[in-house]
Amino acid sequence: MLLRASGQSEQTDYDLNSVTDNEIDSGVDSSHWLRSLTEAAIQSQWDDLASIRDQAGTAMGTQSMVDALVVASGFNGITRVADATGIPLDENTQEMTVDMRESTGIERFNYNEKSDRYDLVTS
Amino acid sequence: MYEHTDYPLRKHLVEAHERVWENIAEPGPFWTGAERTSMVAESRAATSCHLCEARRQELSPYAIDGAHNSETDLDDVIIDMIHRIRSDPGRITRSMFDRVMNAGISPEHYVEVVSVVNSSVIIDTLHAALGLPLAALPSPKPGEPTGQPPANVTDEGAWVPIAVGNERPGLINGLSNNREPNIARSMGLVPSAVQLFFTAFRPHYALQNIPLDLQQSQAEFIASRVSALNQCFY
Repeated sequence: MLLRASGQSEQTDYDLNSVTDNEIDSGVDSSHWLRSLTEAAIQSQWDDLASIRDQAGTAMGTQSMVDALVVASGFNGITRVADATGIPLDENTQEMTVDMRESTGIERFNYNEKSDRYDLVTS
Repeated sequence: MYEHTDYPLRKHLVEAHERVWENIAEPGPFWTGAERTSMVAESRAATSCHLCEARRQELSPYAIDGAHNSETDLDDVIIDMIHRIRSDPGRITRSMFDRVMNAGISPEHYVEVVSVVNSSVIIDTLHAALGLPLAALPSPKPGEPTGQPPANVTDEGAWVPIAVGNERPGLINGLSNNREPNIARSMGLVPSAVQLFFTAFRPHYALQNIPLDLQQSQAEFIASRVSALNQCFY
């Protein structure tokens, strides 16, 4: 949803489906390296990440590579805050992103759908 | 912290993380410094916990019970909460929150745990992502929990009461005062928990004019990808 807002402010159409589909090019600069760094960091692929850091640093510059990991690590924390407190979407976001949430598959992450999917054993 | 790296980390980020580490070791409003430090140890234990790994293989994370590979004497329900947050955040449901409440833990205690654990997740993730050993746990400061005055909160459909809006401008860089998102309000039941977490988070992101060597769209792409990997709806 943030990427959507960023595209609007930059007057660029980014393919939001790239967020949930690895085969789609987002249109964001260096997205291959951003994706590789992010996935290795969040999925704890530390051995892979060592070589990815080297390659991404060469391709993007060391500071940009480090900053990509800075953003990823921050969101690794804040997503857990959201998940553990069950906060609803902000009102404007709720209204403006209905179609986008469906098309990207993000809607399946909503709290009620997660409960339906994961609470079955105990219900 | 981060003294053994040649990677270019910004001074204010390092200082913020050091402040968070020191703060975690101090008594909070509802937990002692020793308990808060144990929460960080427990979060780390979750990354190699056999029960957590077994649960991740199940269709439902509530399918199997058992004992976690625990390293602390925290209450079992808190240990389980921390391990679920650390190891399988995308499959957290209201059931986890209800289990903690049914064990007699207050929402205020719950929120403080969420803040401490996830502040440490940010710091530990960055260390690991840069190939650095994790920071040594801070030495707990003595003292009882400090308590706090009642917080100004409201029920807006989250599992916990959240802060009344627009009282904390500046928690997320680039945020205008009249547009405080729910994430900034989510831990408002414990104001010091909000302060702790956003001290850790603030150097990592801004909603506009991001002060990093990334375009705004690049930062948003990373943020969105993390959200998808962690199955975060918000």
